[in-house]
Amino acid sequence: MTLKQLLALPVLVVWHGLFWTFERTTWQYDLMVIAILAFVWVTPPGWLSDPMADGPGLIGLITQLFR
Amino acid sequence: MTLTGTIGAICLFPLRNIIRISVALGIHPNVLTLTGVVINAGAGWALAMGHFETAGFVMLLANIFDFIDGKVADELNLSSRFGGFWDSVMDRFSDLFLLIGLIYLYASLGHTDYVLITALTLMFSVMTSYTRARAESIIEQCKVGFMERPERIVLFMIGAFTNRMAAVLWVILVLSVLTVLDRIYFTWRELRSTDDEATV
Repeated sequence: MTLKQLLALPVLVVWHGLFWTFERTTWQYDLMVIAILAFVWVTPPGWLSDPMADGPGLIGLITQLFR
Repeated sequence: MTLTGTIGAICLFPLRNIIRISVALGIHPNVLTLTGVVINAGAGWALAMGHFETAGFVMLLANIFDFIDGKVADELNLSSRFGGFWDSVMDRFSDLFLLIGLIYLYASLGHTDYVLITALTLMFSVMTSYTRARAESIIEQCKVGFMERPERIVLFMIGAFTNRMAAVLWVILVLSVLTVLDRIYFTWRELRSTDDEATV
């Protein structure tokens, strides 16, 4: 892999994330699903002003632990 | 096999029996589709009342009907163009029931911010389907963008069961906006290339 290709890699990753052409049951799809679930379950509901959620979420629990 | 492929295969196992029973009973697939929508209306009501767990279970039930109708149609040799049309139209009603339920909930809680977010999610969920349907009337296929109906429904269920609906709404909204943009861009690119070929 050349330096030019290496530098272009993050741009490619962002482009493919934005312009989604991958099918279901591909590793790219798996990666996206993991990222989404991480956002949903890890983000403290307070950050999103969630009117219904209870509990601090994973990040909230960790920050409470280190406080 | 991928992670999502494995999960899909596990979920398909009990559904095969339900499909077999529906075929044995000779239930018309269009009736299954309609049943799914009626049950989804119940899920919308549960969401509106703030009963997320109940809504999750009702959505799960509704989407069993939604999933098996096409398979039952194939098994009974009842696949038709009207069946496809009916299924798409009923799917839109299902989506709208769920999102209207959430709009009612957030409005009754006085959270105008989430009323707006849910309304925008509703708008882009409908536009996701519309852009593909309209694009495929002028180009062969427009299957780009991540956020399609199955993803939306699974996310709704995750949000309901784990009480993380706000995060789910944000994900659906952002990815639906991207999906609509992807489809507009893809259609423009496809049409431009065919126009260029026509002028050469």
